[in-house]
Amino acid sequence: MSRARLSTLAVGLAVVALTVALLAPVGAGAEKRRQRIVALTPFAANTLAKLGVTPIAVGQTLGGRERLSPKVSHVPILKLSHPMGPNLEQLTALRPSLVLSSKTWAKGNVAMEQLGIRVETRDPRSISGALADTYKIGEAVGRKHAARELLKRMRTRIAAAGSGVRRHPKVMLILGVGHAPFTFLPNSWGGSLIRAAGGELVTGGASSRSGFERISDEVVVAENPDIIIAVPHADPEDIPALVRYLKDDPAWSSTKAAKKGRVYVSIDNSLLQAGTDIARTITKLRENYLHN
Amino acid sequence: MIAALVVALLAATGASLALGAVKVPIAEVLDIILGKGGTGPNHQIVEALRLPRTVEALAVGAALGVAGAILQGALANPLASPDVIGVTGGAGFGAILILIAFPASVALVPVAALFFGLLAAALVFGFAWSGRNRGSTGKIVLAGIAMLSLFTAGTTGLLASFPERAPSALFFIAGGLTNAGWEGLKTTWPYFAAGGLLAAFLIRPLDRLALGDDVAASLGSRPQLIRLGAGVSAALLAAAAAAVAGLLGFLGLVVPHVVRMAGGTSNQAFVVPTSALGGAALLAAADTLARTVRAPIELPVGPFMVVLGVPVFLWLLRKAV
Repeated sequence: MSRARLSTLAVGLAVVALTVALLAPVGAGAEKRRQRIVALTPFAANTLAKLGVTPIAVGQTLGGRERLSPKVSHVPILKLSHPMGPNLEQLTALRPSLVLSSKTWAKGNVAMEQLGIRVETRDPRSISGALADTYKIGEAVGRKHAARELLKRMRTRIAAAGSGVRRHPKVMLILGVGHAPFTFLPNSWGGSLIRAAGGELVTGGASSRSGFERISDEVVVAENPDIIIAVPHADPEDIPALVRYLKDDPAWSSTKAAKKGRVYVSIDNSLLQAGTDIARTITKLRENYLHN
Repeated sequence: MIAALVVALLAATGASLALGAVKVPIAEVLDIILGKGGTGPNHQIVEALRLPRTVEALAVGAALGVAGAILQGALANPLASPDVIGVTGGAGFGAILILIAFPASVALVPVAALFFGLLAAALVFGFAWSGRNRGSTGKIVLAGIAMLSLFTAGTTGLLASFPERAPSALFFIAGGLTNAGWEGLKTTWPYFAAGGLLAAFLIRPLDRLALGDDVAASLGSRPQLIRLGAGVSAALLAAAAAAVAGLLGFLGLVVPHVVRMAGGTSNQAFVVPTSALGGAALLAAADTLARTVRAPIELPVGPFMVVLGVPVFLWLLRKAV
């Protein structure tokens, strides 16, 4: 073999090696981007929308009021119900390659994996968890760079929304209706937001893995919250009746919150379920309820 | 036996007033109860929270004990309880309907529980007193089971349709007292009173019925009327109890058996009042446990009642058999 031929071969091999090296990660990323993704939580759906990815379907609970980005408003909806989450026949028909699910649908998640579908649970219960999950979703769908940029913006906005707190009112955040509501604990989404907004969460020192517990009214009287915020399942027209009911509750009527008329009802899911507009929710909390 | 129950009742009542998530010295509790003074949060905790809750526990426990005792006597069936005449299923459906579908009307939960509890019982009696063998024990029990199934299906359907709203209903289903002040008793006291009075009038007729329908009839009693009266009394008591404290079926089933086995007699003049005392003591004790064992977290009282009641029941059952 002549020297000229050898050098041509060497150059050719080098070009091939370089091409393979350059194209390989792009190929993996492109493959990730071609995934057929189903987002069962509003957090996952909205994060995908912010990363420029359109899922093939989004989940919606029966009677639920999920706050979905307009970018996914045209996406088909999968109704979710206990204990499985989506109807597995409908889900299978969509041929998803990745399902972004929630621990709520743990039983369904196992069944989906048995069907050969990749499942990742992305339903955070704290602000730090939401930031971590944003990056993980970006990684899973081949949009790491976009996720990093999104995280930078989120962190800046969250810091701005929580700055300049002048007062730290005692806040009791409750879930449900009736005389036996559950209290949000620090390891819940709502609890995390209250603390970020400068509030001091009234829990009586209770802890629970679920993030919610029914605490004694004796503790509520003793801790005397400045603000009570209820997150019931209700319609906007129900708010005045619910506020009256809560203010007149025999156990709470003597609290500063009831006496000063600082009992509020929040009917959207922003305090209950992880969202992507964290900074806006903190700002609304401070402006509408905490006044701090 | 009666003295022991009275002591248990006094102990349970004292514990219910003295113990809670917030430590209030016993001397201060006594002063507040006796109206001798006390201000601030402790005064409110004892007067507005613990006192009404203790009275509710006593009223509900006594009502369920009596309801179970007269139903078991009237139907000559050891498995009879307010569940059997559909009251529990109906009350559960009524309360869950409001909590889940009409949350703005949450104040109506006791009224809805009462209404649907009585409606279910009325339907049971309506079916049991129609057609052949009207008013027979078998017809009442079967109509009750059918009605219980119907209303339970309705409740399950509601919960399955609105899973995210289920936490609001959980406490009612598991059975538990709340700190609703005197509100619950204000609505329900006439039903407790009417049911209790009717039960008191039925004590003698139920003893005659225990001899068998034929013997009772020969003594001038009317077995079907006695059964209807017992059903109405039990329905009033159980529906009012469910309106205040949710679904606590276990109490009405087990307490009458416990007092019968412990007392060694099925005489209604003994079983009805001792069931009232035993039911009241058991529920007050179980509620105190439910709100102190993991304080400040409050747990439903139903499981605690079972934990307290089942060992005693099984021990007595072993002795009896």
